[in-house]
Formats: sequence, structure tokens, C-alpha cells
Amino acid sequence: MMDLRARFPGSMAVLLALAAGAALADDAVVRAFLDRTEISAGEEITLSIEIAALSLDQAAPPDISRLEGFDVITGPSVSSRFQWINGRTSASRTYSYVLRPDGTGTLTIPALGVLVQGRTYRTRPITLTVNPPGTIRSPYAPPPVAGPQPGRSIPPSTPAPGTGRAAGAGADVRVRVEADARTVYVGQQVTVRFLLDTQTDILNLALKDNPTFPGFWAEEIKLPENLDMKRVQIGADSFVEYTLMKRALFPTSPGQQTIPPVTYQVQVRRRSSDPIESFFFTPTETVTRRSDPIAITVLPLPAESRPPGFSGAVGSFNVSLAADRTEARVNDAIGVKFRITGEGNLNAVTASPLPELNDFKQFAPKVNASTSLQADRFRGEKVWDYVLIPLAAGTQTIPPVAFTFFDPVARAYRTVRSEPVSIQVARGEGGVGPSLPSVSQSDVRLLRRDVHYLKLARGGLEDWSRPFHTSPVFMALILLPVVADLGAALYARRRDASTASTRLRRERRARRVARKRLNEARRRMSPATARAFYAAVAQALTGYVGDKFDASGAGLTHQRIEELLAAHGAPEEKRSAFHRCLEACDYARFAPSSSGPDEMRKALAAAEETLVGLERTLSA
Amino acid sequence: MRTRAAGGGWRGVIVPGWVACALWVLLCAAAPGAAAAATPAEIFSRANDAYEAEKYEEAASGYARILNYGLLDPRVYYNLGNCYFKLGRLGAAILNYERALKLNPSDRETRDNIDLARGQIRDRVAETEVQYPIRALKRMLDAITFNAMTFAFLVFYQAAGGLVVVMLLARAAPRRRALGYGALAAGLCAALLAGALAYKVHDAATPLAIVMQDKADVRSGPAEDNTVLFTVHEGTIVEVHNHLEGWYQVSLPNALSGWIPEVAVEKV
Repeated sequence: MMDLRARFPGSMAVLLALAAGAALADDAVVRAFLDRTEISAGEEITLSIEIAALSLDQAAPPDISRLEGFDVITGPSVSSRFQWINGRTSASRTYSYVLRPDGTGTLTIPALGVLVQGRTYRTRPITLTVNPPGTIRSPYAPPPVAGPQPGRSIPPSTPAPGTGRAAGAGADVRVRVEADARTVYVGQQVTVRFLLDTQTDILNLALKDNPTFPGFWAEEIKLPENLDMKRVQIGADSFVEYTLMKRALFPTSPGQQTIPPVTYQVQVRRRSSDPIESFFFTPTETVTRRSDPIAITVLPLPAESRPPGFSGAVGSFNVSLAADRTEARVNDAIGVKFRITGEGNLNAVTASPLPELNDFKQFAPKVNASTSLQADRFRGEKVWDYVLIPLAAGTQTIPPVAFTFFDPVARAYRTVRSEPVSIQVARGEGGVGPSLPSVSQSDVRLLRRDVHYLKLARGGLEDWSRPFHTSPVFMALILLPVVADLGAALYARRRDASTASTRLRRERRARRVARKRLNEARRRMSPATARAFYAAVAQALTGYVGDKFDASGAGLTHQRIEELLAAHGAPEEKRSAFHRCLEACDYARFAPSSSGPDEMRKALAAAEETLVGLERTLSA
Repeated sequence: MRTRAAGGGWRGVIVPGWVACALWVLLCAAAPGAAAAATPAEIFSRANDAYEAEKYEEAASGYARILNYGLLDPRVYYNLGNCYFKLGRLGAAILNYERALKLNPSDRETRDNIDLARGQIRDRVAETEVQYPIRALKRMLDAITFNAMTFAFLVFYQAAGGLVVVMLLARAAPRRRALGYGALAAGLCAALLAGALAYKVHDAATPLAIVMQDKADVRSGPAEDNTVLFTVHEGTIVEVHNHLEGWYQVSLPNALSGWIPEVAVEKV
């Protein structure tokens, strides 16, 4: 602005302002200021950021993300102003934040950026001194608020002695957290109480945000409708103490866990010096109070002594098992309740405690869980409702059911068992003879895998590195049939060869013998020796067949000759010629007188012709 | 001259060594009641007891001693494998199971244990899927011992040979024909069984090796400066193809192959 005025004197400025537009918005002025620069801890300050420019159309709220060490209680509240002075316009906008410092000492509000017309302006950093509580009186008084706001009713408390101080009652209000134990086991209960100590009247209070407890499983402990009030003495001062909230916390993992701070906004009665104000209004003041975080050491459950059937529950429990009757028939339903009660959290217990029973069919149980509080201690109850169906008659016993939990007081695992329950089971209807219960079958499941057990080799050890098929005996056995077959083949061939040669010799001899016999017959060809002639011819014929076919000549009948000839493929006319010759000879032998020399010559010629013909056919 | 002198020196060393050996043998034989005098069967049952008492190291050394005697019983290898399994040394366990299997491929329990141990090693190698009938046939063949297979083969083989002999000696043609068919049938059976036996022998003779180091690089060639193709971990079974100056050429069932240092693996 100064630059502008210096550069353009007089009426020029008006023209320029009218024609200004974006180019002149360069000259925005941004400043930040606090209402006070010295406060007590727990008090609030107001940070205002003023933006002055020719036009504020394009001014963004300040960026307060760099503001550290302060809680922003409210804000921003915005107020704008527009001025036309001597034909010169100016606009300003103020953003206000109510802040509460987190700590004490000298704090700095850093340079904050403001974006105006696309340019970022920075405020100057501001230093603030925060004194420990109660050391200075705040001159700051917020505007009174008429009437108490709705909320939890607070019994009116008489101001404790020593609270007759004028203003700044906030210093006499504090919120703190109490835990009943700082070192617990995983799953063990920590009871946390959020307390408000005050020396003035509390008109209203509200949680700034919902408390969360990371690392814990939190259960709310209900408080009575009217808050408990008691007087406590802290140091020299006497306070009225309200219990604002109670939580039962169960750590879920071991290690250092923190109960985070909780912030309350408390509306307190303020004493006013103005009698009219005190009479007609209730002067109030809203202060913000934050508790300190609490560290809880969470111990893991001892792992080395953990029994195999550990249920996961931590606390102190009792179990009971009850059947709705002690006498039943086979296939009747029996209701069995298994109940675990005690101090501690049972939510982690999910496994069905009743094992599979041989002589009962078991249905999936109905599980009921309930919790209660007894003297701020969380108690759990879990009931499994089973329906059992006895499958066999006789006295059946439900064995004791064990429940193992960790007892943090004894620092040890404990197992409690129910009493065994005996049930007299009678035969079912129509149960003559042994009852055949309907057995529900289930697959056999592999639970775990392990290597098969050792080989014991009771019969002694042996060297397997040379199996039988690599031994020389095996080779010998392989070669044996080959050798035997070769031998047999050789033998058979030799035998066949000798047989064949005998046959050939006989065949050759057959012709020779037949010719010899025919020659002999020719010599006897005279009527005196007719009988001998015909005998020789017949012998030549039969002997030929016998020799030729390797058959003995003695047993050769006509029929056998016919067979042999037919088998060796002699044609029909040759066979009949042969038989005619033979028959003629036989006839002439028994009636020799009837044949003359002509007949003899004819018979000889016929025999020769037959033999030659046969020889030719059989050799072909 | 020089060589002769060296030769003389060599012999001079050898003789005392031989004498020492003889002395040692004598001492061993002469020490009565000493632990060293135990028979393999005694060592075996003692090792079994140690295993039972969960002293797996002691049991393993007992089994190893039996094997050092040259008594190569697959059951000893199997038990040794169990010891190493319990000690968590999966590579050594698989090695010994494989050695047991090589001697006796028909043992179901050994195969189960190998499967269990291989399910716990780092590497999972997808094997090529075998079709059902072949898989069933393989399982059947695997379930038969060497000697049973050899015996069955010999029965048919000898029968075929005998029938051929009888056929050759027979004179009548119809009988010869019947005997010929019989010999042919027996011969076919013998041929099938011979094939099965050959398969088993071949299968057992496949040179396998087990990776014994936690981690070993498989390279593209038999030297350190070759590219690392892939990495295998303890217990992985590889097939050995070649050997060259301290390196094995190996392949995995999924056809990956490369060269691995000799020291990283142990042959089955």
C-alpha cells in the first residue's frame, strides 16, 4: 500500500483502484496475533489471522497444519470487513482459532501460510509463554453463556474451601486417569477410571472425542445415572471428585501398551464481579482438560509351562456339568449343560469342551455367553448346551471335562474338572436282543504326519547291493535254455537226417528188389513153375510198396496197400491197375492150370508196366 | 637313477603302512568284548534303541558304521534317513531314503518318507504329469521287488526254453504245433517280464544326487564365471548327466538343467 501511494499520487489512485483487478492483489497484508502472550497451562488463547487486501475473492483460509504443540479447540471463526474510505476500498478478513497449548514453557506459533490470489503470504512467528498452572491470573474472560447446556446431570457441589478465587476457575479442574494395575498379563483385566477433580461447580461436560484403546479389548463399565461424588484431598487442596467413565480393559498383546489421553470439555461456573450478571445469568466458562497417558506393562503368558489343552482364558473359573436326567433309553435325547463361570474374559474360549464320546451321538452345541460385573471385575459365563443320544444300553458315563486357564494371581496355569456324570441307559423300544444303534460314521482324518517307524529287520541284515539278476547264477540260468534248445535242435536235425537217409535207401532198394524179383519170375515163366512165377510177381508188387513206404512186407493186405498208395498220392487208375495185377497173380497162384505162357507173359508185362508207372508217379 | 631312488622311497613308505594296517586289524580282532567287536546285528539293535530314546545322533553313527562294513541293507539306509529326518537334516534324510530305494525300489514306507521329507524342503519342483494307466503301471512295477521280478521272469523263460526243447524232440506234427504255441506264449510272457525288469534296473540305475548345501547356484557351465541359471536348496533331488573337473551337469524333473559344484551335492 505504501508503495502504491508513493508511486501514484492523488486521483490516480482511484482510477487505479477501480481498474485494479488481480494485478494489484499482490499487495495483500497478512498478520497473525494472539490475544495474550503469557498464559497458564490449561488456559486457552485466541489466534487471529488477518488478511487485508483490495479484494478477498480469492483468499483461502490459512494453513494451520504446521501448528504443533497446540490443540485447536474451536475455529476458525471468520469475520470480514469492507471499507470505502476516500474512494479507496479495502477489505479484511480475520480467521480466529481458540487454541490450548499442550505443554508449558515458551512455545512458538510458526509462520503460517495464507494463499491470496494465488500467492502465498507468511505471517510472522509469535512466541507464547505458558506458565505452570495457577501461577498467573488470566485477564481474559470469555463472554457469558446463558443457562446450562443439556447433558449429564451433575449434582450441585458446594465449592470446596479455597476456591474463592475470582476468575480462571479452569485452573481448579483437572481430569486424570487411574488404573488399578500397571503390570498385567495378556488377557488380564485392567480397570481404568477417568476422574474429574474440581473445586468449582461443574455445569456440563462432554467428551471431546470417543476414547479408543489400541492394544486392548475394552468393555464399558456402566456408571450410575448420577455421577458418584466424593471429596478428596490432593496435596493441600481439597477437591470434589467425579468418576466420569470406567472401562475394563483386556490387553490383547504383550509389551508396553499405553492408555491414550482423553480430552473433556468442561463448562464451569465462573464467579463474576458484576452483580447484575451474577444475578440474572449464570456466568460460565468452558475449559478443556486432558488426562495424562498411562503406560501399562503387559506380560506374555508363560510359554514353557503352557499345557496342551490351554483354552486361552485368563482369570479364575469354575466348571460344572449337568445332565437333565440320569436315566434314559437308547436313542432318547439327553440335555447336557457344561458351564464355565468366573472372573475373566471368556470370549477367547470357543472350542467345544466336551470330547467325542464313544457311546453317545453328539450334536453341535448351542453356546450362550453372558458377562456381568461384580465390584468392577468382569465376570464371564459361557454355557454349552449339548444334546446327547445314548447309543448303547448300560451305565454310560460322561467323563470329567477339563478346562485349563491361566490364573494371573497364582501366575500359573490351572485346570479344573467337572464331576463325572453317570447315566443309566435302558434298552430302547422293541429292543429284543442286542440293540443296533444307528452309528453316525465319520471319515478317519490324518491329524499329523511323521516318518514311518524304523525297520527292525528281525530276520537279520543282508547285503542287498547285489540282487539276484546281477549274479552269475542268473546268467547261467539265462544261457541254459539257449544251450538246451540248440542241443535239442542239433539232435533233432541229426535224427531226421538219418531217418531220411534210411528211407531213401529203402526207396532205391525197392526198385532194385522189384526188378530182381521180376527177373526171377521171368526165369520161371513156364507152365511147370507157374505157381512160383506168380508168387514172385506178387512179391515183387507187394515188396515194392512195402520197401517204398517203409512198411513191413508181411502185414501188407490189399487194404493197407490201398491206403499207403492213396496217402502217397498215386492216381486212381494206377491203384486199380496195381490191384488188378495183384488179384490176377493171386488167382493164378491158386489155379495154376488155367494159365498158359501167354497169360504169364501178359501178367509180367502188366506188372512191369504198373511198377514203372507207379515209380514215375511217386517220384514226381 | 632319480626315479629309482624315488621308487625305493615309495616302497619304503608303503611297507610300514601295510604293516600298520595288519597290526591294526590284529588289534581289532584281539580286543575282546570291546564295542568294536560288535556284530552288525548288535550295532543295529543298539542304534534302534538309541533312536527309541531320541538319541538320533548316536543312532545315526551306529547305522553309518554298519554301512561302512559294506553291509548295504536298504533298511539300514532307511533308518539312517529317519535319524536325519528327526534331526532336521532333510538333505541327508532324503539322500539315505533314496539310497534305500535304489537297493529296494518296492518299499512303500521309504517312498512315503521321501514324500514327507520332500514336502518340507524349500524347493518345489513340478514334475511332469503322468497319464493314469502309465502311472498305475509304474506303481505296480515299483511295488514288486527285484528278486520277485527276476524269479517270475526266470520261470517263464525256462518254461519257454523247455517247451522248445520238447517241441524240437517231438515227431508228430500236431504235438509239435501245440508245443510251439505253448513256447511262444511263455516266451512272450518272459519278454514282457524282461522288459519290466529292465525298466526297474534302469530306473534304479538313474544317477541321482541330492543337494546337501543350504543353497547352491546352478550355472550355465562348469566354472564360477558362468551365469547363475537358478538356485536349488538342501534336499532337492537332481539327475546327474555329466561330470567335469569338480562340476556335475544336473537336471531337475521340470527339465531345468545346468552345472553345479561337486561339493554341493551327494550322489545317491
